[in-house]
Amino acid sequence: MDNAGRRKFLVTLLAGGGAAAAAAAAWPLYRYLAPAGGGSAAAVVVIPENEVNEGQAKFFQYAGSAAVLVRKRGGELIALSAVCTHLGCIVQWVNEKQEFLCPCHAGLYSAEGAVLSGPPPKPLAPIPFKVAGGTIRVGEVA
Amino acid sequence: MNGKGFFGCLAALLIAMALLFTPVAVLAAGGTQIVCITCHGTLTGKFGEPVKLWQGSVHAENGIACNGCHGGDPADAANAMSPARGFLGAPKETAIPAFCGRCHVGVEKEYRASAHGRALGRGGPTCVTCHGNHRVVKASLELINEKSCSRCHGFERARLIREAMAETEGQMAAIDGRIALFRGRGVDTDRLEKGLFALRNSYRALFHNVDVELVRKESTRIQGELKVLERVLQGVDETERKRKLAGVAAVAGALLAALLFHLLKKSYD
Repeated sequence: MDNAGRRKFLVTLLAGGGAAAAAAAAWPLYRYLAPAGGGSAAAVVVIPENEVNEGQAKFFQYAGSAAVLVRKRGGELIALSAVCTHLGCIVQWVNEKQEFLCPCHAGLYSAEGAVLSGPPPKPLAPIPFKVAGGTIRVGEVA
Repeated sequence: MNGKGFFGCLAALLIAMALLFTPVAVLAAGGTQIVCITCHGTLTGKFGEPVKLWQGSVHAENGIACNGCHGGDPADAANAMSPARGFLGAPKETAIPAFCGRCHVGVEKEYRASAHGRALGRGGPTCVTCHGNHRVVKASLELINEKSCSRCHGFERARLIREAMAETEGQMAAIDGRIALFRGRGVDTDRLEKGLFALRNSYRALFHNVDVELVRKESTRIQGELKVLERVLQGVDETERKRKLAGVAAVAGALLAALLFHLLKKSYD
């Protein structure tokens, strides 16, 4: 093979390798920036509205963690993560006081998830939800 | 560097190290000195002993100082033991479960439902009987031992509970070890740690009920949930394996590119 042919072959190989390297470097960036696609739709949890009575809480699994829906006295609905922000225990609903209590270290939260007392450093994380056609769609923005 | 500068740097380093290793007693009060320890730490006998015992406790390990249990004002020596500042002192024997239960709500509930709890005030054990007073030890299988249990009753039933828990506790210890390993490598393990803590806490709160059948039943459930954590850890393992492969491929690609460039250069010679 003459030098010109050899060069063309080597340049083609290098260009191919360079393109593959650029694609490999861009892939993680694309994955980070791209929207979650179907992922968020799969995370939606549908709960019939009549399963959450006034003054009561309903616990369920949302996106791999414990979550809770509360219908306050007066009818307002709230969806929160049920994972205590202190060390990760699952909070319990104290019906008489209309508060959440963490059984591990007595972290106390209001029905809205605000820290009332104890060691939790942050409020319970709110979860978006939408009420439509007699169902509560947790994970969908209203 | 002259001698003065060297000693200045050395002094700064020593101060930085002293601050780094400041006892948790200072940290626990949000940066202020715990006056209880300042005073009782210099005393001897029954007034000084609690400080030494506390220093080896799970509470000290986690930054829970005297005021965390006994109340009072840890920043004001004159009012540190003032009831007006919430000082509670030491509880009477029958008040110990409620005293500890202010924080350990779930454990207190299970304890009160147990034969231990029902015997409170009638010779039954309280929290400190097994976990110790001031040198409070973490709940573990080692706490259920013949020497300790035989102070009040035979060990047969306690042995059954210990055996029922052994496998699950072992599984939790193995997961804990793997999480620590990943944390050491810089992996974000916060969610895994919290998941394991929650499971371990609910499991250990449960065995305060001292009901063998309940422990066996719950062991099966907890083991199922631990398997979920194990699957997440396997996922982290798999990601690390893929990253290593990608690293090897990148190095091999760079070497190949270097060889091709060398050959290209030679073609111009």
